[in-house]
Amino acid sequence: MHPLLEQFLEKWVWPTAPGARGAAFRLRITEEKCLKGWEIALQRSLAEIEKGLASGNDDWQRRVALGGYAGEGVQMSIKQMSAQLLSVDLTEQEHYIDLQRMRARQVWDECKHSKLHAEVLMAKGWIKDERELLHNAAAHTQPLPAYFGLSMMFPHIHPLARAAQHYFVEAIACLGIAAYIHLVDDPMVRHEHLSQRDEELMHFMEGKYKIDTYCTTLENQKPVEDTLDFLLHRLRVSL
Amino acid sequence: MPTLKINHERCTQCRMCYVACRELNLNAVHVALEPLHRLEIDPHKCTYPVCTVCLAYCPAEGSIVEAESGRWVVPPPADVHRWWLKKELSAFSR
Repeated sequence: MHPLLEQFLEKWVWPTAPGARGAAFRLRITEEKCLKGWEIALQRSLAEIEKGLASGNDDWQRRVALGGYAGEGVQMSIKQMSAQLLSVDLTEQEHYIDLQRMRARQVWDECKHSKLHAEVLMAKGWIKDERELLHNAAAHTQPLPAYFGLSMMFPHIHPLARAAQHYFVEAIACLGIAAYIHLVDDPMVRHEHLSQRDEELMHFMEGKYKIDTYCTTLENQKPVEDTLDFLLHRLRVSL
Repeated sequence: MPTLKINHERCTQCRMCYVACRELNLNAVHVALEPLHRLEIDPHKCTYPVCTVCLAYCPAEGSIVEAESGRWVVPPPADVHRWWLKKELSAFSR
């Protein structure tokens, strides 16, 4: 097992709230399913970064940064949070104050990260101003179609399937950031990644908490298992 | 008994600690209206180290500390986190 994955597990995965009723299930699926996916994704991230570094210039960083802009933008957050609110009638939404506060916090957070991202791009000289970023087609495309739009909502429509998606996929984001910080010695780009780290971890913790709290019966565990199988299948197919 | 407090330099106000503490009906984590509507821990309601639920779900390293010693407990160090579940699992698999 790669030391970065081992460190992630020791810090954020194994520590468990005493008495959490779904935790035994979470640890079982982690060992049986998640570890495989996380190891593959981490190795892939490391290989991509090492390949970029070996090229001897920072064009690859510029390419990755521009391509990732849309993925870190406010629109992604709004899609994601809207998907979580869709199952609640408009007239009922005022009762879900936690959800609304979390949504407000999330939109604020995405604004902050988008702004930081644009500032790093400008400071590095990769774009002249934000207008240029808006005009860059590469900044507004993603390799996956509507990741948090309708095409991804249907496989994750069950709230515990969403939890599984958070637990599995956000861990990969955390590991990708850890890989970047481990290998890339650029203070500005590192600063940007560090800024995103707690955000990704928060979503991972949302998944961890929901599984620990609610996956107490076979019926509740099934959507989590199904989602993990789906995500693992996707990861293998894409390799 | 040691008590916990939030280090606002590190806390991201994500509310995971608030949600987890409320689930157990402890409600030791609350939103303090004064001065800045920030999350705070009520030392009279918090049962740490009997309960460590907030520490298990907090994503911001160093954001919850032992009030007396100032020691960071996120992520929970080994002496705070009792690894009870891992032990239970290994006993089960044997």
